[in-house]
Amino acid sequence: MGALAAAIAIGLAALGAGLGNGMIVSKTVEGIARQPELRGPLQGTMFIGVALVEAIPIIAAVIAFMVIGG
Amino acid sequence: MMSNFDNMIIRQRKWMLYWLAILVLCAGFLPYTRILLGLILGSSVSLYNLWLLQYKSNQLGETIAAGRKARSGLGTFSRMTAAILAVVIAMRFEAYFHLYAVIFGIVSSYVIMALDFIFYQIIVYKRGEDRPL
Repeated sequence: MGALAAAIAIGLAALGAGLGNGMIVSKTVEGIARQPELRGPLQGTMFIGVALVEAIPIIAAVIAFMVIGG
Repeated sequence: MMSNFDNMIIRQRKWMLYWLAILVLCAGFLPYTRILLGLILGSSVSLYNLWLLQYKSNQLGETIAAGRKARSGLGTFSRMTAAILAVVIAMRFEAYFHLYAVIFGIVSSYVIMALDFIFYQIIVYKRGEDRPL
């Protein structure tokens, strides 16, 4: 049951983060390609968005590993 | 002239290093060694994660602005692996590292990032400037 819990935890977290990251990066790429002079602000916004989105799957991976290993 | 993004990443790294320095000082002088060692381990991994994300997003921005095709991602798996490695070390050497402290340490860079963003927005608002980030 522990392995199942770990798989569900990391799978759902990765699904959500993948969708979120994909949206953020695709819009940023579009924006920078359209207006390269706006690279600084767009990059900053992307950086914070990606970091906050990615915190969840990292914690999920840690929790999944704790469930399996502990 | 440095852009806002460069200023922001330097600020974040600076605060992260201050946090690590405070933790090392506390580990040297306070009796809660296990918790503080766990925090140091987690925060070191967190600093690596922060640096990797900054480096990769900068590289991605440069590649796109130059009009080339982006071949490398943002390093999500490297960051996950680093966090898992810290947890494995904490579980293997349980006598030295407190597991929950390690997890809090891993999250610390995100906390610093969010606080930095909020404080900087407040400073910009008070100055009356209209400059995002």
